[in-house]
Amino acid sequence: MNKNSNLSIFFNGILKENPVLMLILGTCPTLATTSNVFGAFGMGVATLMVLVCSNILISMLRKIIPDNVRIPCYIVIIAGFVTVVQMLINAFFPELYDMLGVYIALIVVNCIILGRAEMFASKNTVIKSALDGLGMGIGFTLALCSIATIREVLGAASFAGIAIPFLADYKIEFFVKAPGGMMVYALMIALVYAITSGKGPKKKSFSCSGCPGANKCHSKECEKEDK
Amino acid sequence: MDAFKNLVVILLSSVLVNNYVLSRFLGICPFLGVSKKINQAVGMGTSVTIVMLLATLATWPIQHFVLDSFGLSYMQTIVFILIIASLVQMLEIFLKKFVPSLHKDLGVYLPLITTNCAVLGVSINNITDSYTFVESIVSSLGVGLGFLLAMVLFSGLRSRIDEDEVPKGFRGVAITLLAASFISLAFMGLTGIVDNIFA
Amino acid sequence: MKKSIKSIVVLVVICAIVSVIMAITNYITYPIIAKNEQQRANGALLEVLPDGGSFEEFDISSYTLPLTVSDVYLAENGGYAIKLSTTGYSTGMVIMCGISPDGRVVGTKLVSSSETPAIGGVAAEAYREKVIGKDVSNIDGVDTVSGATKTTAAYRNAVKDALNSVIILGGGNVDLRSDEEILNDNLSEALPAAEGEFEKHFFVEETEGVDAIYLAKNNTGAVCVIGESFVAVDENGNVTGAFEESLAQTAISAVSMINSTTLSDIDLSAYENLPKHLVSAKRTDSGNYVMEIKGAGYGITGGDEYHPASGEYILIKVSMTKEGRVIDCLTLSQKETDGIGSVCAEESFYGQFDGKTPETYGEIDAISGATLTTDGYKKAIVRAFECVKIFEEVK
Repeated sequence: MNKNSNLSIFFNGILKENPVLMLILGTCPTLATTSNVFGAFGMGVATLMVLVCSNILISMLRKIIPDNVRIPCYIVIIAGFVTVVQMLINAFFPELYDMLGVYIALIVVNCIILGRAEMFASKNTVIKSALDGLGMGIGFTLALCSIATIREVLGAASFAGIAIPFLADYKIEFFVKAPGGMMVYALMIALVYAITSGKGPKKKSFSCSGCPGANKCHSKECEKEDK
Repeated sequence: MDAFKNLVVILLSSVLVNNYVLSRFLGICPFLGVSKKINQAVGMGTSVTIVMLLATLATWPIQHFVLDSFGLSYMQTIVFILIIASLVQMLEIFLKKFVPSLHKDLGVYLPLITTNCAVLGVSINNITDSYTFVESIVSSLGVGLGFLLAMVLFSGLRSRIDEDEVPKGFRGVAITLLAASFISLAFMGLTGIVDNIFA
Repeated sequence: MKKSIKSIVVLVVICAIVSVIMAITNYITYPIIAKNEQQRANGALLEVLPDGGSFEEFDISSYTLPLTVSDVYLAENGGYAIKLSTTGYSTGMVIMCGISPDGRVVGTKLVSSSETPAIGGVAAEAYREKVIGKDVSNIDGVDTVSGATKTTAAYRNAVKDALNSVIILGGGNVDLRSDEEILNDNLSEALPAAEGEFEKHFFVEETEGVDAIYLAKNNTGAVCVIGESFVAVDENGNVTGAFEESLAQTAISAVSMINSTTLSDIDLSAYENLPKHLVSAKRTDSGNYVMEIKGAGYGITGGDEYHPASGEYILIKVSMTKEGRVIDCLTLSQKETDGIGSVCAEESFYGQFDGKTPETYGEIDAISGATLTTDGYKKAIVRAFECVKIFEEVK
């Protein structure tokens, strides 16, 4: 498959460069919103929408935005879309809004979005950027939902809020609490490593690969990675 | 006296019980990425605490005197993130020019902080929890100290993990997350302490 | 220079575009969000008063309401949602109570509490249903839940406070005094000289017609409770206030009798085979006995009658005739489980023994959930009668 074909760009985000399981980006919403499938799906779709919209707009403006103010421009655009999504969720899905709380606003600082703007949308055409956003967003949503399924079934004996009668007496509340989230995520990462036998893209250290400050950041770790 | 008690409870609960990193996952990226060495952990933690305090000093009055009074509350996210981003820039310029020694220590962590969700998180939470100005500052200080505490504790663990033979699939991110999970489990044990501290 | 101007222009234009997008979205969503937020705020209120419609906070500063009432919301349909904070097994139990326009409980909700989840928490949840449909006339009739008496009694009293508040807000009058306060007010009214300090007299003689006698702590007289009347007898033995002749006579003779009764100590060491639980015994001139005796409740491990005191006994003061008819009974001290066995310290429990004979001791209702305490108490009374029999034989 041609590396740059539209189809490969779309599937790239879902599998090969899945932001959550392969690139380990967006750790914060991954852990915080996966205690139930409903919340995880909502978070995934909200991020998907912001990602697609911001990718399209940034790609459209990529020749206009001067290099020296590009980060503030990206932040403004992303924050704008996050606010729009936030208002829409608050208006039409108030339950989801209560469940996700501050994490909706925090999509702004999700490394995935700024990372894609910086690494992809600023260099590619509108259609490709849209597909990239869509693929990454779907990959993000799928990963969140799979982690949430494990956590909710084991920890709350339910799926998307629907109780599983047979399991009700065997709830392991640990899994819906904070430490359980970290443990499930860690095990998922190890599992993905086992399945791909380590052939996926090299797992990078946290925060740097998608970090918009990476090019400014002089921490030794970042420099090591840049090489 | 009651007001003082209230402040102590806010401080302690944001350091221990509602530790942003360990129970709310805010700021977990730098927590897992930068906390390899204890001096890095202290540097990052201190910078975050300072930025959190400055951010609260700026965002609280703006929310109450500008956004709320002009019916622009929906601009909260965009305004706050811009304030934080420019604060970080200004702090960096200021340190570089006037306190170069401190800039050498903390400067490298500053660019990372713009996208640290804990800073934006604490600014927004101070508004949603309808804290007063003083309460907001105390809560930001607590969150910052909690972040510092978590970073320092974790850096000790990290340096040991790095020297151990870890199964291949777990190397790097996975084992770090597992270790964080256990620290978080330990912090869960502190739930209930703060509420009853004056009982 | 040109470059930086371009940068600024672009940034400003982008900010403007984004602001316009946000403003449009806000324009569309704002009314819906406002409606959602109102519903969210009213959520707890609608849960307890589903037909309430919209609610507005009611200014209660000009009313004297029960102390438990913290907030009152007036519903569109004329009903009220009332928020109360009270103390169950531990402090900080917050209850929301919905009252219909005709003064009935429509729904209640335990908003927050620090009750023991498995006991008080569960009981309160079950109790929620029981108070629905009650009004101020029959709320007292709702039984508490055994094992969680404190929690459920607090719950019931809070709901009663809510019902009373609605009456007060509607312009009615409600007696908000507790039973003890009512009693004390009645006593003080009958005998102002006592300055509100009374002590209940422990009967050692069977006194016909008098329900209770309260002695003024400053020795200015006594008040006899006869049916509904509070008859005060001053220190000189005269009835103060206008009462029927028969009432006055009953009171005077009762007071003079309790003043003339003398008690003589019985030397316990002179008797063999007395139960070890007997602490002290006195005999009246008329041959009645007053004893202090220990009962093995839940506090004594194993409930063994002769078990060495590994816990705390219930200390009971009882007076009885030589035939074993209980004249008066009182719990002096106890360390039973708070909220469960501790009910044995309340008059509603030990008052049941008054007038019981050896044949009818067993009729006392066991406190459910505190069977060991009740049994220990009954055994102590039976034991007291055994002591009386021993005293009588030797005599």
